[in-house]
Formats: sequence, C-alpha cells, structure tokens
Amino acid sequence: MLKRSKVKSYTKKFPRFENESLSLYYAPRMPKAMIKETEEAVALARKFNDEVARPLSLELDRKTHEDPDYLPVELVKKANEWGFYTMWIPKLFGGKGFNLPSISYFLEEVGSVCVGIANVIGVHYLGMAACMMLSNTRIIKRVMNDVVEGEKTGEPCLISYCITEPTAGTDVEEVDLEAKGRLGCHARKVPGGYILNGSKIFISNGHFSTWNVVYAYTDLKKGADTKVALMVKRGMKGFSLGTHENKMGQRVCPASVLNFEDCFVPDELVAMDPDIIKSYTKKTPRNVNMQHIDYVFSISRAGVGAFGVGVARGAFETAMKYANETEIDGKPMVTYEWVQCRLAEMYANVRLGRLAYTEANLANQHRGAYNILQMKPIYYYLKYLPVSYFKKVIAPLLDKPIATWILSKWYIDWQKPDDQHLTTGLASMAKFSCTDLGVRNCQMALELMGKAGLRHDSGAEKIIRDAKLLQIYEGTNQLNRINLFKSIVAPACPKATFFEE
Amino acid sequence: MLTALNNDLKPFEDLITKFSREELKPHVEVHDRYPFGDLDVDVIEAGFNKIYDLGFLGIMLPEKYTGIGQGISTLCMMLGHVAEVDASYSLIIFTSALSQEIILSAQADSIAERIYPKAKDAKEYLVAFPSFTDPGQSKTLPEASPSGKGYTLTGKLDYLVLGSFSKWAVIPARISSNRGYSFFLVNLNDRGVTKSEPIFSLGLHACPIIDISLNNVSARIIGEEGEGERYFETASKIMHAAAASINAGIIRGSLREAMDYTKEREQGGRPVINWSEVRMILANMAIKAKVAELCVTQTCRAIDENLKDWGMISIATALHVHDLACEVVTDGVQLLGGNGYMKDYGQEKRYRDARQVQALLGLAPLKKLVLIKEIVG
Repeated sequence: MLKRSKVKSYTKKFPRFENESLSLYYAPRMPKAMIKETEEAVALARKFNDEVARPLSLELDRKTHEDPDYLPVELVKKANEWGFYTMWIPKLFGGKGFNLPSISYFLEEVGSVCVGIANVIGVHYLGMAACMMLSNTRIIKRVMNDVVEGEKTGEPCLISYCITEPTAGTDVEEVDLEAKGRLGCHARKVPGGYILNGSKIFISNGHFSTWNVVYAYTDLKKGADTKVALMVKRGMKGFSLGTHENKMGQRVCPASVLNFEDCFVPDELVAMDPDIIKSYTKKTPRNVNMQHIDYVFSISRAGVGAFGVGVARGAFETAMKYANETEIDGKPMVTYEWVQCRLAEMYANVRLGRLAYTEANLANQHRGAYNILQMKPIYYYLKYLPVSYFKKVIAPLLDKPIATWILSKWYIDWQKPDDQHLTTGLASMAKFSCTDLGVRNCQMALELMGKAGLRHDSGAEKIIRDAKLLQIYEGTNQLNRINLFKSIVAPACPKATFFEE
Repeated sequence: MLTALNNDLKPFEDLITKFSREELKPHVEVHDRYPFGDLDVDVIEAGFNKIYDLGFLGIMLPEKYTGIGQGISTLCMMLGHVAEVDASYSLIIFTSALSQEIILSAQADSIAERIYPKAKDAKEYLVAFPSFTDPGQSKTLPEASPSGKGYTLTGKLDYLVLGSFSKWAVIPARISSNRGYSFFLVNLNDRGVTKSEPIFSLGLHACPIIDISLNNVSARIIGEEGEGERYFETASKIMHAAAASINAGIIRGSLREAMDYTKEREQGGRPVINWSEVRMILANMAIKAKVAELCVTQTCRAIDENLKDWGMISIATALHVHDLACEVVTDGVQLLGGNGYMKDYGQEKRYRDARQVQALLGLAPLKKLVLIKEIVG
C-alpha cells in the first residue's frame, strides 16, 4: 500500500516507531544463548529463595528490629558462596559473565521473596556499573579481581556507589541541580592524588563493602564542573564507617554513613577528574559528568524496576495464598468476583512492570551501556572462550592506557546522544512505573487481607515497608518522571526548560 | 474543624493537645520500638494510667458509669489530636470506646456496673477488644457453653487489642445452639487464658496486641444470646467515624511534617517547597486533609443530630478517609526523600500506622459490600 521509502519516512517521524517499540525490533536480534543463561539465572534465584531467602527473610527482619545495630553478615557470605557477586562480572574481568539484562529477572525473583536480600546482591552491581562506566580499565581490573578473589577465599568483596550527602540527595543525580546544590564532600588536589573530606549517607551495603566509588568535588560551589570519582578501599587511612540508618524496611541491607577525614586517595585510584576527561574528549566535564550519571542510572534504574516488580509479585503471591486459604461466609474467598478481579489486577501489574523493565533492558542492550557486549560476535566470543584465555591474553592489555582511552572514547564520544536519551528515559520510566505498581500491589494485598496482613509473620506488612524505599532511591520517582520527560518527551515541547522554574 | 463548629469542645481540645505535646511527643520513637527495645512495660502502663486519670478512656461512657458522657464529636476530636502525634494511643482510646459501645448497645447495665465504677486503674478500666475483627467475618471464634448461671469459653481468638494489659476483655464467641455469635465478658487473669507474646505488627506498636487461647474460661454474657452481630453493627456504625478521625489526624500530622521539612530542606540551591511538583504534591495532600476533616466533622454532626442514614455516612466516611490517608502518608514519606524513610522522622511511622488503622473493624472490601447492601437493600 505504501512504498518502502514512505514507510521509512513515516516511521522515522517523531515519535520514532523503533524507539517506541524496542521489543518488536530487538527481541529477534537477541543471541539465543542469552535466553538459556537467563533461565539459569532465574532457576538459581528460585533455588536460592527456597534454600536461603525464604527461610531467612522474616527472621532476619525481626532480628534487625530486636537489635537495630545487627548486620546480617552471614547473608552476604551466603550470597558470596552462591557466586552471586561475580555472576554478572564480564569474563573479561574474571567473572562468570552472565548477560547483564538477566540480572533483572534474577533480582525480580529474589525480590519477590525479600527485596532487602535482593538489594544486598543487586546494589553491588550498582557499584560495579559505576566503576565500569568510569572506563578506567586498570581500576576495573583491580577491583573486579578483588571481587573474584573474595569469592574464592570466602571473604566477600563488595562495591558500593557513594553519592548521597547529608544535604544533597537528588542534587547529586542531575548536573543542573548539582551545580547549585549544597555539596559537602570535598576533594583537594595534592601531589600524587587527592585529599578527601566529608561524608556520604544512605550508602547501601556500606558496612559490607570493600571498595567504594566516591564522588567528590574540588570546588563545592561548582560541583557539576569539578567532580572527581575516587575509588576508596576499606582500611584506607582517613576513611571510617559511621552508623547505619534505622530504616522502615529493607533492613537487611544497611544504609551506611561513610566519613572521610583527610583521606588520601592516590592517583592510581582516581577514576575521573576534569584533567582525565580532557585527555580523551573535548566535551566539558559537566557533560561527561551527566553522561556518566545517565549510564549508571540507566543500568541501575532498570534493576530497581525489577525490584518493584519483585515486590508487586511478592504482594500478589501473598494475597493469593491468603485468598486460597480463607473463606468468607462459608465459601472460598477466591470464588468471589471482587477477589478475582483484584488478584487479576495485581497479576497484570506484575506483567506490565516486567514489560517496562524489559524495554529499559533492551535500550541498554542495543542503544546503551551494554551494546558492546550484546553484539553477537562479541557476545559469543566472550561466552565460549575460556577464562584462562582472557587472563593470559586480554588481562595484560587492560593495564595499558590505550585500553582506558578506547573504552572512554567508546562511551563518551562514540555513542549517539539520542540513544543515551532513549536509554536513560526508559530506565526512569521502568523505575517509577514498576515501583509505583509495587507499592500499589502491596496496598491491595493489605486491603484484601485485613488484620491478617498486619502481622509480621504474614509477610505482607514487611513487603509494604520494603516497597516504599523503591520510590525513593536511585532518584525519587519525581526526578525520574522529569528525566523521562527531559529525555524522551521534550523534543515535542521545544519551549521546555529543566530545573529552572 | 470540629472545635470550630462546637465551642464546647475547646476545653477538651486544650487538654488533649497539651497531653499529646508534653506526654506523648517526647516518647514516640521509643514507644514505637515496642515490643522490642528497652521499653519497660511499666512505662507503657504508666502512659495508659495517665490517659485513664485524664478521663480519655471514658469519653462517651455515661456519667453514671464514671464516664464523661460526651458524644462522638468529642471522641473524634480527641482521637484526631492524639493521632497527629502518636496514633498508637488513639487505638487505645478507640478500643476502650468500642468495648464500651458494645456493652452499651447490649444495654448490659450489670456488666458496665461491674467494670467501670469499680475500676481502680487503667488496667481495670480499659477493656480489651479485637478491634480489627468483624466477628461476623470470622470463621473461627471461641465456643461458648452454658455453665451454671454463666458460660464457659473454649477456643482461640486472634489479634486481641490490649489483651496483654487489661483485666477484662469483651470476647465474641459462638453458642452451638445459636446461628449467630454473642459477646462475653472475660477476666483475662483467669487460669484458663493463655496469652501469646505481643504480636509484632505493621503499625501502632505502642498499643499491645496478642492472640489468646481460652480453655473453659468462665464468662458472663453481654446482652442476649446470638445478638452479637446486632450489637457490633450498632457499635461499629458509630466507631467507623472514630476510626476515620484517627486517620484524619494522621493525615494532618503527615502534611505538617512534610511542609516543615520542605521549607527547610534545599534542592538545587533553593527550598524544596519552591519546586512546583513538590507544591503540587503538597496541594494534593492538603486537599485530602481538608476533605478528611470535613468528612469526619459532617459525620459527627449527622450522628449527633441522628440524621437518617448516619450509619451509612459513617461507614462511607471511614472507607474514604482511610483511602485518603494511605495516599497521603505515602506522599508524606516521599516529600522527605530518604529521610522520610528513616525512624528519625515521623513519616515512616505514619505510613505504617495509617494502614493499620484502615484495617480497624474488619476487612475494607467487605465493609464496601455491606454499605452497598444497605443502599440497594
């Protein structure tokens, strides 16, 4: 009916059809082995749920209420024993090299039993993503080696991403706000490195982590332009752990305070600063800063979307179990239409959420941070060559400045801005949609269960406590809405400005 | 708003706000740690005795039973003010009033005479009740058997509010020869009563809740055999408004803390409150707070003036205000960001408490079905 050229012309118009329908275009391009890998990740999660998460979930939550100082170290060791902290580290860096989108399905599974436990595993990969997207291959290799070594020795080596400050939360996630925010973490350039002073708060897994990706600023009044990213290892002089917060939920995953007092960070652990940026791109430090934030959050927000679907599922499954076991006026609850309709809606919320984070993953796979790993030849090359090959042939190259230069160029200069906009926008959409759906399902479960859902031993009350944090971390759902607008909707609103009202 | 419409409430309002500010506010965080933490049971009991001494436990109880004989407006005003600070104490006052309403509905003078005028302290005055249960919805209730002049009760009852504290409890139970259920007065110190450890629940932590098992426990019937449903319906009709007032108070507390915080906290170099989306959320919270207050106030009026259909109005108000509260407290946490999720602030507690209050008097969807049944006949 229409010539091919016309079809192309119409579908490329805003909103571009391909961008609006990633599943249609990219699902067929997925290497088949990825599906088997994802199935394996899901199966592992289910086994872990049966053997570890389900038996421990309520018990650990209760323990943290009995003793707010309690830290479930044994849980972290368990996850380490199961190999979860290296599962998604690329083989290039010594990990098991599971495809990165499969972590979402894994986290959803674990999150459906306990999203706090899922976070103890998942937030380590936020640290990994932050470290990797800084593109310093020598640092990446060193940190990932430690993680792999930690798995072998049984002493978990985790990574935390440390950006939130006592007076700056949302501000550190958006350069326009960062430029005006009340920042407090200062980095002073000295010969051979930086002296770091200040505090970070709400750092997930802070008390468990060995490595920390820390953002600081050489000029606190010009944060967006003077950011440095430093790798701080536990035990370094001047770095200490403060308290961990007394949170409403997700209590097995500590939100820690990290203090830096004249902490010297040598040049070899400086992953990004304005001078390093200048060495590989003409872009301004502020733009690179925003690109880095976008890359990290495009990955992590899809993961938080999976957490949201996890809690939506947990609430749905808990409510369904209750409805199956309960009678109203002598009839099973599940025979009533009003119950069926609510359970159906809860189920639909789970499926809709999963579609949202799948779209975000597809954007990461084909238009974002994972694209290098998703090219079929590279994917199969990484998958089937033995780890020993990477150790002997590739690993030495990672220490060369050229490796860092190529990776930095790849991510900062050789990606299309439109692709990054699409990726960050869809990650934000997944984040706020899935977590809103999660909280909604929790509310519906409580309404369906009444007093039975209020008891700790029912599990339902814990899910609704846990769920609320998802609407806050990785950028509040409000910031994520603005990011979606800015990244994807704004081209249709040329008069729109951001953070300037 | 209630006080604005009725000046007579002013002295009560002054009293309750002073009490909430001075006696409750400093201890909210510690009380919320119950049943864990270092909180001595004596401290909790001392708090109960204070509200007993001030007369808060007999607001609607007629003066002849040593109550203060006020109406639903006074009760709702007080519950709301207490809930703004710590809704756990609202549940204590609510439970006291609910058990009294059951006894009054049954016109069980002898029971009231036995409890209230003779009570020496809160333990004897506060009557435990399963405030989250509509006994008609409950598949399993204790069994009651006639025994001499009274009855004996055997079986289990879950989620008994104040069961670990009070001397007396109003317990629903079924007599095998009757279709419905009946209410009984039980002495919880009876040897046949086995009490669970305090139940760790979502919210309202400072008001202890337990499960109990009864084994041939002597009991006195309240009112007539098999008439429990009627008494509960009468009592709950009025108490729905009281439940709504608790959540209206929680809404006010949440809005106030959100406004205070967003004025102080900065984002992008200016107070958070100056960003338009934050204002939009605050506006929605404020609208819901006003609507909730209006619903409670008008419902109290309808009850006081014995308006036709006041029972339906009361249920509708409760259902609506509970929904509003669950939305508001979720936004209330959100506006404080990460801090809102921490126990150093009040918002996370309100997030939990509002949902706990929503479950008072039985399952919310079934209340809706009851309401529509009344409307369509």
